[in-house]
Amino acid sequence: MNLIRGFATTIKHVFEEPVTIQFPEEERPVRERFKGRHALKRYDNGLEKCIGCSLCAAACPADAIWVEAAENSDEARYSPGERYARTYEINMIRCIFCGYCEDACPTEAIVLEHEYRLSFNDRVDAVYTKDMLIDPVPPGGQDTPQVTEPGKFTRSIPEMKDPD
Amino acid sequence: MTDTVTITIDGQDFEVPKGMNLVDAAKLHGIGIPVFCYHPKLDPVGMCRMCLVELGNVAIDRTTGAPELDEQGNPVIRWFPKLQTACTQTVSQGMVLRTTSDMVVEGRENILEFLLTSHPLDCPVCDKGGECPLQNLTMAYGPGESRFIYDDKIRLAKHVPLGKLIYLDRERCIQCARCTRFCDEIVGDDVLAFHERGRRLQIVTISDPPFDTKFSGNTTDICPVGALTTTDFRFGARPWELTEVSTICPYCPVGCNLNASTRMDREFGGKAMIKRIMPRQNERVNEIWICDKGRFGHHHSRHEERLLAPLMRNKSGELVEVEWPAVYKAIAKQLKAHGDQAGFVGDSTLSNEDLWELRRLAELSGGSPRLGLWPATMSGGDVVAQVGVGSETRLQDLGPGSVILVMASDFEEEAPIWWLQVKQAADRGAKVVVANARPTKLDRYASAVIHYRYDEAVGVLNSFTAPLLSGDGQLGQGNGWGALQSDLQNAEVTHADTANLLASAENLVIFLGSEGLTLEQHAELMQAAANLLIVSGHVGRPNNGLIPVWPGANVQGAWDMGFSAEATADLLANPPALWVIGGADVAGEDIRMATALEQAEFVVVTAQFMTPTAAHADIVLPRQSFAERAGTYTNGLRRVQRFYPAQGPIGDALPDWKIFAHVSAQMGGPRPPVAAGTIFRDIAQRVERYIGMDYTRLAWFEPQFPDVGGDDLYYGGTAYSNYGGLGLQWPAEAEAEQPQFSVRPVRTAAPQTDGLTLVPVWVLFDRGHLFEKSELMHHRMPQPYAAFNPDDAARLGLTDGDRVTLAVEGHELTVTAQVGDDNPAGAVLLPRRLSGDATLSTPAACTVQKIESMQKVEG
Ligand code: SF4
Ligand code: SF4
Ligand code: FES
Repeated sequence: MNLIRGFATTIKHVFEEPVTIQFPEEERPVRERFKGRHALKRYDNGLEKCIGCSLCAAACPADAIWVEAAENSDEARYSPGERYARTYEINMIRCIFCGYCEDACPTEAIVLEHEYRLSFNDRVDAVYTKDMLIDPVPPGGQDTPQVTEPGKFTRSIPEMKDPD
Repeated sequence: MTDTVTITIDGQDFEVPKGMNLVDAAKLHGIGIPVFCYHPKLDPVGMCRMCLVELGNVAIDRTTGAPELDEQGNPVIRWFPKLQTACTQTVSQGMVLRTTSDMVVEGRENILEFLLTSHPLDCPVCDKGGECPLQNLTMAYGPGESRFIYDDKIRLAKHVPLGKLIYLDRERCIQCARCTRFCDEIVGDDVLAFHERGRRLQIVTISDPPFDTKFSGNTTDICPVGALTTTDFRFGARPWELTEVSTICPYCPVGCNLNASTRMDREFGGKAMIKRIMPRQNERVNEIWICDKGRFGHHHSRHEERLLAPLMRNKSGELVEVEWPAVYKAIAKQLKAHGDQAGFVGDSTLSNEDLWELRRLAELSGGSPRLGLWPATMSGGDVVAQVGVGSETRLQDLGPGSVILVMASDFEEEAPIWWLQVKQAADRGAKVVVANARPTKLDRYASAVIHYRYDEAVGVLNSFTAPLLSGDGQLGQGNGWGALQSDLQNAEVTHADTANLLASAENLVIFLGSEGLTLEQHAELMQAAANLLIVSGHVGRPNNGLIPVWPGANVQGAWDMGFSAEATADLLANPPALWVIGGADVAGEDIRMATALEQAEFVVVTAQFMTPTAAHADIVLPRQSFAERAGTYTNGLRRVQRFYPAQGPIGDALPDWKIFAHVSAQMGGPRPPVAAGTIFRDIAQRVERYIGMDYTRLAWFEPQFPDVGGDDLYYGGTAYSNYGGLGLQWPAEAEAEQPQFSVRPVRTAAPQTDGLTLVPVWVLFDRGHLFEKSELMHHRMPQPYAAFNPDDAARLGLTDGDRVTLAVEGHELTVTAQVGDDNPAGAVLLPRRLSGDATLSTPAACTVQKIESMQKVEG
């Protein structure tokens, strides 16, 4: 009797619709707060949000981020304020996608987005450089480095409002 | 009278030295009173109010003068009604302190809240962020919340250059005045000041050129916030990403302890790279200061012109790249062929290990090795070994009762940190005597200034010694005493007051340079100084004796390893067929050397760059800079100090010792040692002065006071802690239990005849082949010039700015004339290493020809 009941369950499932998703032909949408590959954000005018402060690297528990900073000038400006990231690299096979870097960032420059298709044939390929991470220039904006008006972008961190 | 008093801090009794600052006294016992403006090396000003404490004194009964007692018989404490600044108080018997009471905690919170009302809080982009006293103290003592409105923060300029080396961020400045006080008190350069009042108070530079001091970088270290940053480092890395590597400055005889803050860098091939140079505390050497040459002079270590592979001349006479084994063989072959016809020269930037291996190679080559040191401007290594300053001398201990004689040296240019320490000693009450042929900056702080003609130098010292010999003298048993006595019997006593001052000094330190003296004259001058020190009894104990102002970082080490300036002079007089030159740019610095090398049969050079010397060579060997390898330098106080590899290697360059050891192996010597430490062990066995030293012992360290830059950052030092070693000093012979002193009469120089003498002088910011590579310092390097006395200039028909040709020993140099009252008559002062042109090591007669300008400008 038990035997029959067991097989009945099996037979029932044979006729049910399969839940397997046929990746890569088929993709399941990710949740809003899914944490995939990082992107470096830009302001609307095209300036980079990242100021090269290395706090993401300091927060990273997997030591996956490498930042080298340099100084902006109005002749060659990458980001507001004096400092920008000359080198920005994330090693995707070290990264555990915890999102601490996103929390640490004072300018909301690094964001974990929805891209999760990350596979590599070589470990070196897993190191994403700044070119690979940075968002495209938004429409109406300019690529960096920009020539900017002196005295306009003196502050690295955007103005914050006092909480109401 | 005891030297200590008892104070009570938070209910605990402590014995502390009398007269000590309250903050320091608390710190001595591990109790932190937070400070911003107070710094243990500066006078207190009480500007920031961070150090507020509750303070009470024992109440004294006015009628009896005895402490008032309460019913239980305990002394009554009279508390100040308000919080007091601890930094402006010195301890007194019975003082009672509360540092953790509610009132104090609230006081600190309020001060921090106020300080932060004007602070931009841009820690993420601030170079100080991570090692910032304001951050640390806010975390430890801050209120956590501010009642002020962020939008009302004051907005000020964030990118204000104070000269080309230091930037000021006006928003970050908390107006503690540490930077201005450093410049005023420690250096005595009137370059920074406060401008405006109240909320508008700001730092400005008041000198022209701006921030005109040789020590500007130190202000960035002591600034308790990130208001001052150096052009060199700005945004180079975050402090927590840096690895501190202990190293020693390769430039001058002070031997400042440095930290190289390193980090890997993509643009440097992913290798560790020096991001900044910081002082490393050594209270026996540089305290916590370094000069801008040491701080910004590290760029040569990874300059793009570094030599990367060994070069050898091919058949057609061009230098072409070859492999190391081939050059080892070629050099060994040449050395064997020339036998004792070889001469060896070691540079002052070579480590003891390099010099030792060079010496071993020379010994293998046969004959008695001729070991010259470079720069060969000063004699007297033996004199230093005899009457060098006593072990455990600390220049910061010199004060009232001490006399410091600085002679024949433009002190600030030649040994900046010693200059700074002597200046502070003068402020503390030590008497400074400056003797030179021309005024120097130290004259300002001198109790007595003696200006002599260059040929009178020895006579000046003799005139100090002579009066001491007139009696029987308590040291009458010394060797050569009688001869000296009869020689100086009739010596003219020209500076009786100064002679008295020196003789009656409790401590006497003599700093001796060699400006305007030939090697022979300088040997006599050193002996004259020894005579004076021995006769007046100022030898063999701490804070007494001779300190030579050697012309380089490891000149002392070179003497110890058996090299000498006399040998260099001998090599010039009797040039060898084969030269082996370690590191020095002899041809680029000395016209006599350039000629000698041209005539040589074969020249082997280790070099970092294609210097004129390397261009003369038949084999050029790429040497590593001090940053890439380990070694030891011995400073002018005979302190042997270690440096460690900081930066990734460049090309195929090798440390000099390895190169020489490999050649030795080719010559049938032992297998090359594997590490610098093994060579040092060898040195310690064979060089008597170094017996008992080894790398482990040199690396010893101890807690130093004031503790600046330890785990707590109250004093706000960056990279100060010394974990790399305080080094060891070898004792002078005078410190032996039964010292054998020998004095001897010295020859005074023949008075100068008519005509002009070309006198080479030192400038700190020169274009030596290493320092020149720090491009950010170019604006501090003077244009090449030759300085004339107005009378001489008038005779020659020269005015300021004329172009002149100096002819000396068959060579001609073209430079711009500078005419000034300060320049001694009969001499043409020519700074060394200022142009690409070679000058001279030692003075020589010269003739001067004005170049008449070809075109007349039509009006
Ligand atoms: S000075 Fe200190 S507190 Fe101010 S921004 Fe820099 S790190 Fe932050
Ligand atoms: S710049 Fe720095 S050291 Fe100078 S007053 Fe301001 S905070 Fe103090
Ligand atoms: S007032 Fe005492 S430390 Fe500033």
